[in-house]
Amino acid sequence: MSGFIEPEDAGLLASSFAAAMLDAPDPGEADQALYDLGWADLLAASPAQGAAIAFGALGATGSAATLLDDVVVHALGVPVSPSTCVLFDATLYTNPAAPQPGDPRSLMEDNPFVVNGLVSSRVERATTVLIAVDEFEGTAVAAMDAGLLREPEPTGIDPAHAYRHVSVRIPTDAVTPVNAEGNWEDAVTAARMALSYQLTGGARWILTEARQHAIDRVQFGRPVASFQAMRHKLAESLVLIEGAESLGATCLRDPDPMKAALAKSLAGKAALTTANHAQQVLAGMGFTAEHRLHLWLKRMLVLDALYGSYKSLPTEIGRDLLIYGTVPRLIQL
Amino acid sequence: MDPETFRRDLTAWLDANADELTPPYEGAGSMDEQMAHYSHVKRSLYDAGFGRYGWPESVDGLGGSPLLRAIVGEEINLRGLCDPNPWTMIEVLVPTVIEFARTEVAAALVPPFLRGDEMWCQGFSEPDAGSDLASLSCRADKTDGGWLVSGQKIWTSFIQYAQRCVLLTRTGEPNSAHRGITALLVDVDSPGITYSPIETMHGRLDFAEVHYDEVFVPTERLIGEENGGWQVAMDILPYERSTTFWHRGALLHRRLSDLVAQLSDSGDLSDTSAKAIGEVFLSLVAFRSRSRDTQYRLARGQQLGVETSIDKILITSAEQQLFEAVRDLLPGVVEFDGGDHAAMWRTDYLYSRAASIYGGTAEIQRNIVARRLLDLGPES
Repeated sequence: MSGFIEPEDAGLLASSFAAAMLDAPDPGEADQALYDLGWADLLAASPAQGAAIAFGALGATGSAATLLDDVVVHALGVPVSPSTCVLFDATLYTNPAAPQPGDPRSLMEDNPFVVNGLVSSRVERATTVLIAVDEFEGTAVAAMDAGLLREPEPTGIDPAHAYRHVSVRIPTDAVTPVNAEGNWEDAVTAARMALSYQLTGGARWILTEARQHAIDRVQFGRPVASFQAMRHKLAESLVLIEGAESLGATCLRDPDPMKAALAKSLAGKAALTTANHAQQVLAGMGFTAEHRLHLWLKRMLVLDALYGSYKSLPTEIGRDLLIYGTVPRLIQL
Repeated sequence: MDPETFRRDLTAWLDANADELTPPYEGAGSMDEQMAHYSHVKRSLYDAGFGRYGWPESVDGLGGSPLLRAIVGEEINLRGLCDPNPWTMIEVLVPTVIEFARTEVAAALVPPFLRGDEMWCQGFSEPDAGSDLASLSCRADKTDGGWLVSGQKIWTSFIQYAQRCVLLTRTGEPNSAHRGITALLVDVDSPGITYSPIETMHGRLDFAEVHYDEVFVPTERLIGEENGGWQVAMDILPYERSTTFWHRGALLHRRLSDLVAQLSDSGDLSDTSAKAIGEVFLSLVAFRSRSRDTQYRLARGQQLGVETSIDKILITSAEQQLFEAVRDLLPGVVEFDGGDHAAMWRTDYLYSRAASIYGGTAEIQRNIVARRLLDLGPES
């Protein structure tokens, strides 16, 4: 983090970002509005804190702006632009006979590639897609024309967000190596941190909605908020959210891959547990398309599924601990 | 003194004196052995100065941030040098006694406690006032030069080793709830106090049922205001959930490390083990991150309050998940195995069941979060 943003300024930025997101429901317009507000400069000056501010606002507003592309592009050490997007969770399968991994130029060899991964809705308007491949001796980054990954209809549970799975064969000359200073691990860490702020921001929104409903909704002559079963569900949601927010802040002070994975996992757990509890509190209303819960639920499912879900990350982390046979202290006074 | 320098000096001293500070007994030891070793460790830390930092000069401390106390307990627990339970009594009771007791009383009575020469206990719960603490009925009636205390307390830990007791009494009308409670600092050897230990499910005499029969307590032993005991009790609870929780978190970290080392040595890299270990680690890190924030709020002089119920819920989940994982991943150790090693897992497993009961049950904590933090209005 090169420039520390004071809490007061962070608050102002968060409000202006949130206002811009609410004003521009279309993801492309939202991206442009955020660029106009200085998102790219913020990311360059204070990548982690900038992402925390912007992604908290994404979670709270439910905006489908595609800032995750920028976070990954920046962490790979490539200049960000609203017309550059990335292939998330990318695997680029080369022919087994292709040259050794580790050489970015391996991408240039004479074999057809299968590009397999996720892209955000930015692919619809972008010119370039970056593909980063984690290789033995570093990270190879290649660029290709976004048009090759465009599909007529976005698929998936969250059409507004419009992440889509792509799996296409491309000609060899479709990819060109990119000189990138960043690496795969940093990109994954940055993405996980950003996603954790969006997840906790979303979890807060869901909890606020459920709390208000519990207070307003009267059954048996009293607010359903007075029933202990409801209260405990909401209390457990708050406990998880506060834990996840604390870990998110710890990550900001001192980022590292393991903390980012833990923060992402805890935030996913907080968001989906809160969504489940809110579902019960909101009951029938929460199952309708009229109530916005479903929008946040679907968004949280998608965010949790990116870069390792809350259920899968602990297994990865636990295996690391078993391999090394020790447990890092991680949280220091 | 800045925390980093303090930790460096402390760990160097702990390493240099490791032999002398390591418990002389195998396994968990008897309670008498534990208490003797606790006194020894406290005394050694006090004499070396480390045990005096973080406490004000008025009680013979050397000043400095409460973070320094968090660090001492953390390092002791990471090394397994001392059972954490007797240690909690100082952290729980002393900050409030310094704030609310008469200056000369605190100055005279606190130093021997900090030195490990004396032990204190806490008389809050009663047979009919557990979760509903404000309904307590142990009476304190005014008499010449003080009070006469009569009634019954329960779950009083360490009274068999204690010289003083921080006692909550009823001084208002029987139905005066939290308004008519007074806190007193009582000498345990006062005539009229009798107790009978209660054996726990993990086979220890951790606490006792205590009877008070016209026990005289002098006026100067008042803590806080007359009928202001609820405020004293509410001041104590956050301390119970700040420094001591940081210490307990360190103990849980060590026990998780023990489990991971044992599985790792046996070459276990199975998905089942990896998942369970990862989930416990996640819960523990969540708690420790939250608790770290709490330590800093305390160090900045911020008033801690009901939000520490979140710390309590997080550490309870982490502790119970950890020892459930022990039972799952080391099959039969808790149920069948002999030896000190298995006995300690068994003890920890059983003791973890109390985590969702002591210091306010899991349900009470959720009620507090719902009422005070989420502002959900009254319960039906």
